[in-house]
Amino acid sequence: MFNPETLIRKGLPKGHFKDVAARSFLGGITYLVVAIAVLLFVKIIIDGAPVLFKPEAPFVDLDFLTSKNETLHVFDDAQGNRHQLPAAAYSQYISQHGSATLFNEQTYSYSGGGIAGPIAGTALLTIGSMILALFFGVSAAIYLSEYAKQSPFIHAIRLAILNLAGIPSIVFGLFGFSVFVLAVPVITSTPSDRSLLTIPLLIGNYFLSFQGWNSSLMAGCATLACMILPVIITASEESLRAVPQGFRDASLAMGATRWQTIRKCVLPFSLPGILTSSLLAITRVAGETAPIMFTAAVAAKDDLPWQGLKSPFDILSSQVQALPYHIYTLAARIPSSEFTQRAQYGSVFVFLLLVAFLSLGSMILRAKLRSKLKW
Amino acid sequence: MQTAIQIQNVSFAYGAKQVLHDVCMDIPARQVTAYIGPSGCGKSTLLRCFNRINDRISGAHLTAGSIRIHDVDINRADIDLQELRRRVGMVFQKYNPFAKSIYENVAFSLRVAGKTKRADLDDIVEDALKNAALWDEVKDRLHSSAFGLSGGQQQRLCIARAIANQPEILLMDEPCAALDPLATLKIEELISELKKQYTIIIVTHNMTQATRCSDLTAFMYLGKLVEFGPTMQIFENPKDPQTEAYVTGTFG
Amino acid sequence: MGIVGTSAVLIFLSVRQSHPTKHLAEMPHENPHPPEPVHRFQKQGFSYENAIKFFFASNAGLTIVILALIIIFLLKEGLGFFPGYQRELEVYRIAGLEFVDISRKNLTAHEQITSVLNRTYYAEINGKCAHQMRRSQEASALFNAYSDLTAPTRDLIVSNSQPDSSPSPEMIASLRTNFEKQKSKALATLPATPHLTPEERQALIESIRSRAFDATDDPPLVASLTTEFAEAREKQVKPLEALRTTIDTFESAGSELSSLVSDMTESVTATKEKIQDADILEKDRKTLLAAASSAEDPIEREKLVSEAQASLAQKPDIEGPIRILMERRPACIAAHQSLKNAAATVSSQLPNTLTQPEASRLLKVAHNLWPLFLADLEKTPQTITDWSHLKPVALSTAISSFITGKDWVTGGEWQDFYGILPLAAGSLMISIVALTLAIPSGIGAAIYVNQFASKREQSLIKPVIEFIQAIPSVVLGFIGILIFGTILRDLSLMDSLSWIPGFPIEERLNIFTAGCLLALMSIPTIFSLAEDAINNVPSAYAEAAEALGASRVQTTFRVIIPAAFSGILAAVLLGFGRVIGETMVVLLVAGNRIKIPDFTSGLGTFFQPCHTLTGIIAQELGEVPLGSVHYRALFIVGILLFAVVLIINATAHRFVNRMKQ
Repeated sequence: MFNPETLIRKGLPKGHFKDVAARSFLGGITYLVVAIAVLLFVKIIIDGAPVLFKPEAPFVDLDFLTSKNETLHVFDDAQGNRHQLPAAAYSQYISQHGSATLFNEQTYSYSGGGIAGPIAGTALLTIGSMILALFFGVSAAIYLSEYAKQSPFIHAIRLAILNLAGIPSIVFGLFGFSVFVLAVPVITSTPSDRSLLTIPLLIGNYFLSFQGWNSSLMAGCATLACMILPVIITASEESLRAVPQGFRDASLAMGATRWQTIRKCVLPFSLPGILTSSLLAITRVAGETAPIMFTAAVAAKDDLPWQGLKSPFDILSSQVQALPYHIYTLAARIPSSEFTQRAQYGSVFVFLLLVAFLSLGSMILRAKLRSKLKW
Repeated sequence: MQTAIQIQNVSFAYGAKQVLHDVCMDIPARQVTAYIGPSGCGKSTLLRCFNRINDRISGAHLTAGSIRIHDVDINRADIDLQELRRRVGMVFQKYNPFAKSIYENVAFSLRVAGKTKRADLDDIVEDALKNAALWDEVKDRLHSSAFGLSGGQQQRLCIARAIANQPEILLMDEPCAALDPLATLKIEELISELKKQYTIIIVTHNMTQATRCSDLTAFMYLGKLVEFGPTMQIFENPKDPQTEAYVTGTFG
Repeated sequence: MGIVGTSAVLIFLSVRQSHPTKHLAEMPHENPHPPEPVHRFQKQGFSYENAIKFFFASNAGLTIVILALIIIFLLKEGLGFFPGYQRELEVYRIAGLEFVDISRKNLTAHEQITSVLNRTYYAEINGKCAHQMRRSQEASALFNAYSDLTAPTRDLIVSNSQPDSSPSPEMIASLRTNFEKQKSKALATLPATPHLTPEERQALIESIRSRAFDATDDPPLVASLTTEFAEAREKQVKPLEALRTTIDTFESAGSELSSLVSDMTESVTATKEKIQDADILEKDRKTLLAAASSAEDPIEREKLVSEAQASLAQKPDIEGPIRILMERRPACIAAHQSLKNAAATVSSQLPNTLTQPEASRLLKVAHNLWPLFLADLEKTPQTITDWSHLKPVALSTAISSFITGKDWVTGGEWQDFYGILPLAAGSLMISIVALTLAIPSGIGAAIYVNQFASKREQSLIKPVIEFIQAIPSVVLGFIGILIFGTILRDLSLMDSLSWIPGFPIEERLNIFTAGCLLALMSIPTIFSLAEDAINNVPSAYAEAAEALGASRVQTTFRVIIPAAFSGILAAVLLGFGRVIGETMVVLLVAGNRIKIPDFTSGLGTFFQPCHTLTGIIAQELGEVPLGSVHYRALFIVGILLFAVVLIINATAHRFVNRMKQ
């Protein structure tokens, strides 16, 4: 016979300790991960903020952000005072005081001046590759979501996107190097010897030579665009599919063509979603080093990308500095000391600020979007 | 006749939305009680209060009254929730066997209760499957996946699973809603067998099913209990005009 | 391809069909068969819409084109590697370098064992005088810390006090003030000296403080401790004399072989250069002939052909040098015999254990190396006798020595070897560390966040973990080098942790450091995918389980996790793919030593530096000449990476699809 007393718990429920143990163990692991992440941010903020932020107005060390990267010269003068001067100021000092008054001179590459060059380079690379990736990616997404029916072609495209998404970034670097730097066609009057194929054109003395664009902004943008393309396509397709089918059906039922429907009824509503995911893609593009190491980046450059050019189009064919590559140089190629710390931590901090800013922006946009578009 | 469940002035709400208003009922033991009523009248909610499975939904709570099972208030603070659910079994509308073998599905509730001896488990599983009228069909493939069974067999597996622990009360929330007529018939036959051992409360949308299976029927409308009595009386001689309107098909 | 599509659209826009309907009345009457009237609903010709569709379709097809280009160009640049490597191995054999390497291998092993024995000897001595050593080191470190801070200014003062300089009094005064400032700062920030008594420390500091300005010798305590240490060592040398003699005998037993090897090295290197020059000339000649055959101008052709004839390579004399080399065969065999005899006697003379743990460990390592060494010495005479420079080198040899080769040596003067085992081992070891840390953390966090955490906790934890994903890998590498590596090494120096295998670590950039950072990188990937998988388990399962009397924890672990298993497995696989493919972190933090880790130190193996498949490409691609064998080898490594990650991702997606059913 059933004894209802068994329904009443005497003391703690059976298995209570196992329950508590499991929860605390898992919770412990989770918070350990969170704690490590937070500690990392804090450490970088503590070391990097003093470089970027000053106690006096304008509170931000604009010098660091806007001066070009230079070698740092450290020396003692006759009074025993230690000076740390970037290269330009150093030459000025020498012309004023003469070089005989310097003692214990040491130079630290890349550690003086600011990071204007890398910032400019990264900005150009990001803008260029996002333009390319958004143009081709959103178009591809439109095809996949609006026009496509099940077919081997579609199957192949989806397979290609999945595979492209998983390729390591260094393999993209190899791809960019072998295709964009060495093999894509160029119109020139002096084809190089290592060109794969030279086709004489009808006009003038020009040839279509498959010799690549050399290490240049163009090659870097193209490589980064190829790398980020699957991400953009997937995100854009998701935004497009989020638009209710009813919008399309209503538009088509009123006699609009497919393209008109897309242009007026689907794209405008999916653009905010596309833009939000683009922000996250920007953080990825800005942060990648391996694809640009051999296709566009150079460690030291005297001028900013738009200076010292013979014609405006030359900016596309010039090499640029880039922030992630700069950080790599600072971390790996130079010995660490108290004099290099400013440049190292400052660059990393600025970079993380940028990434944080963009991520936060994308999160806020995403939240605002969800509340605005309620269907 | 012993009372299995005493429902005294129960009002229930999901967050701010009140869904049950002052329900009073005494459910007798070893009989089949059916809850009927139109969609949204609160019959499933009431059923789910009996094993407190509503606790899974945040904001769901009893706003007034008490539910006593064999004279124990199931909402008291020191209730052993797991033991309650072992004593009050539940079968859901859409059959949901676990992604395990047939044997493991039935043995699940035994294992979580702490039984591990293989011999004991074997016996209990066999009994449960026999009582659910499934043993003959599956005795040769106990360790194959539960998803290999047909819809009706899966629902009987869920019944076997629910009765493995020999509960006092069996709650069935529209158990035949997802089944074809043949399978439904088998389940209804099973219910009349099972009522010899268990108190059964069945929620159903199908009034003729209520007339076929149940001894008592409760008609609910908009969260209130309108009428409760022997099935024959509810369907042939309803006292309340609303009940009469519903059972004659005027609305719902 | 999109550009083509765009231009196609523009072209077609300009020839767009006009309105389809035509009025019958406007048709010329001569036509006896008027065309069918076109209905208003019927489309005609190539429309604008189709062009747009074609444009979008071509952009979508771009992805296939890119993937195809990647595969094609990787193969194009990489496949030439195997024939090139085959030729290099051929030259290696023909010129006789392979023959020399037979002996060199044993020589290297001999040097390695000698080095281990020497380390054993010094570990024993230093271990016995550990106390004196530490005291002396700490006192010196203290004095050096002081000197480092004050030396620059002091040197300035001294140089300005020279008879031939004429400093201004203000400058000297300010220099002296600076010096005093630096002196007090230095004295305030002296390092700790745990092994010196407080009185000794005080005395040392006092002696530094009251030092004469131009004193050049060490403070008295430093000098006395150095002497004390030296004396203690002297005392220890005596009992270990026998060991020292044994080691010295062994060391000198290899001198005969060593001089033989260096002699042979010179001559075979010369032969190799001759062969390589001849190869280059031959290649040039072929290029000239090819240009000649495609030249249209007959005079041009004549010129090219004659140039080709002129550069006809003198076939280098291989047989001569080889014959001379073969004459050394008996000498080689004899040298090996004597080395073997010396080794056999030495191994029996070595003690079995020593008093210091480190010394004992190294002694065990030496003992373990012995059997292999002796076995190799045993086999070598036969190998020397059997060697022939005429044995052909097959393409399959090149392939197998690439896949199973234990050395990746490039840019050296002797011979380039391209074997990926050390790189693959490095990648794998780092992945093991990373996944061991990331899998429990990622999956545990996913389970916690999805099943047990409150809404508020979820909204706190998820963004933080997602933010980790946004951190660029180069920043994590930076953190690894500058922060994490140093912390780890300082931790390992602590006496209380010396029981952990591999502590104290020798290199702060090693497999473990890289593995930790990679774990941090892959946790968000594993976390979000696993959390997705757990989320996708239908709530009906949880409901049924709870209705059967299972507690929350029981439901999670017995029902939900098994149901989400294929999704969780997919998450782990994708995390693995991410870890294997990561470049910048391993390039910065793994230590970049191209050698298969030494597995004899057990778990301590994880604290050794290594190199990886991804890192080697990033490191070396900038320095290789285009088209060389080395260049192509890097592309083959790229293809390998591509294939591995492809397989991992394909498997993962199969699991994801299974999960979605």
